[in-house]
Amino acid sequence: MITLENITKGYLKYKQEYVALQDINLKVDKGEFLCIVGPSGCGKTTLLRMIAGLDFPTSGQIMENETEISGPSRERGYVFQQYSLFPWRNVLDNVAFGLEVQGLADEERYQKARKYLKMVGLSSFEKSSPQELSGGMKQRVAIARCLVNDPQVLLMDEPFSALDVQTRHKLQKELVHIWRKEQKTIIFVTHNVDEAVFLADRVVVLSSAPGTIIKTFNIELDRIRDRTSHEFLNLKKEITRLLDVEP
Amino acid sequence: MRKILISLILPVSVVVILTILTTFTGLIPPYFLPSPSEVIQSFETLLMNGELVQDTSLTLMRVVLSLTVSALIGIPLGILMGWSDTVRDLSSFMVGILRPIPPIAWIPFAILWFGVGLESAVFIIFIGSVFPILINTMDGVKRVDKVLLESAYTLGASDIQVLRKVAFPASLPNIVTGLKVGVGVGLMCTVAAEMIGSNSGLGYLIFTSTSMLDTGSAIVGMLTIGIIGLGADYLFSRIEKEVSW
Repeated sequence: MITLENITKGYLKYKQEYVALQDINLKVDKGEFLCIVGPSGCGKTTLLRMIAGLDFPTSGQIMENETEISGPSRERGYVFQQYSLFPWRNVLDNVAFGLEVQGLADEERYQKARKYLKMVGLSSFEKSSPQELSGGMKQRVAIARCLVNDPQVLLMDEPFSALDVQTRHKLQKELVHIWRKEQKTIIFVTHNVDEAVFLADRVVVLSSAPGTIIKTFNIELDRIRDRTSHEFLNLKKEITRLLDVEP
Repeated sequence: MRKILISLILPVSVVVILTILTTFTGLIPPYFLPSPSEVIQSFETLLMNGELVQDTSLTLMRVVLSLTVSALIGIPLGILMGWSDTVRDLSSFMVGILRPIPPIAWIPFAILWFGVGLESAVFIIFIGSVFPILINTMDGVKRVDKVLLESAYTLGASDIQVLRKVAFPASLPNIVTGLKVGVGVGLMCTVAAEMIGSNSGLGYLIFTSTSMLDTGSAIVGMLTIGIIGLGADYLFSRIEKEVSW
């Protein structure tokens, strides 16, 4: 379980103090699929980075179970918005990276890496170099690279934002399947309301500058969700309106 | 093929023009600039008596030795300077002062510290070649995509592992570029180095032949250094392509 208590994050710009995030209180349950939506610049990426341990709050506490997060850990996998594969490693060695730094022997780590490569449907690309892959494939490999570490939490920062709509929808479906199969906690940041409603158990809506939680939606629609259903569209409408009144 | 032909136009023209100016018109006296045929003659002589092969291999050996020392010192130091702000703040001022000093200015100290011999020559070439290697390595490490480093950390890598498995391979292309530039500068230092450090080598050949007005042999030495440089450049460009993605 991830707990955020009274998180405030400020930063200095041109010698002036800005508040990026203010009074964020949030509990994310084990196995939950949480989406954080908000306009650009609302600090949602900063929030995710702080959960990852890549950034730190100005005040407040972020806890994983009972311990305060003090830095990155393989227990909290992170899928970046940008393509982040190591370009000098082939796909298989990218996926096996986390196991390699743990000191696992070749055979064992390749066997595990292949399992997750298969899960994301890229078994036949294990010898390819990342440059040969399409954007969607790169993000699939990045997801497999996180999963191979068997993290408790998967943190995803708009991983599908650079993809075309068809590919994005396909990967969203795959992600839901993976989430159900692996029973991970997922915290997924996006500015795309449709994506949030499709993926999440719960959608947290952030306001912009300073980012605060304005509303939380529990989404109880059956999975895999039908984007054209009334309930889906209504939820989408409601959240979009909420974001639109934001200046 | 077309590229090779085009690249030959200028050198061939220069040889033709020089032949006209020196041999046929006599406008330029031979001690001033030797005619191409004299250079070929000197080349034959130096090749036959084995001097050219010996000098070339000795110079190559010194350059390779110096470059190895430069790489062994420049690459780790460059990685540290690129990696740690503290190390960079600590050393960049010092490096900034030392770097512009021409290697030839170190000759008196080279003699004082190492005497006359191989060590002095290696030291002078080292001074010339270490900085390009150091600076390129540092830049390479400094510019590694932050996302790659953060990915590695979130996948559980330690600082040392991120350095070894991410920062180093990511900056390998820059390191090779540093080596390429380093070889070039190193070759430029051979004359100065062999002036003091030895009684052999291409630099020594150029230096002594010029002082004896044997300009033909001097030019043979100069061209040989040029050709070695060209070859090294080609080799490292190939490696550069190999290690970049």
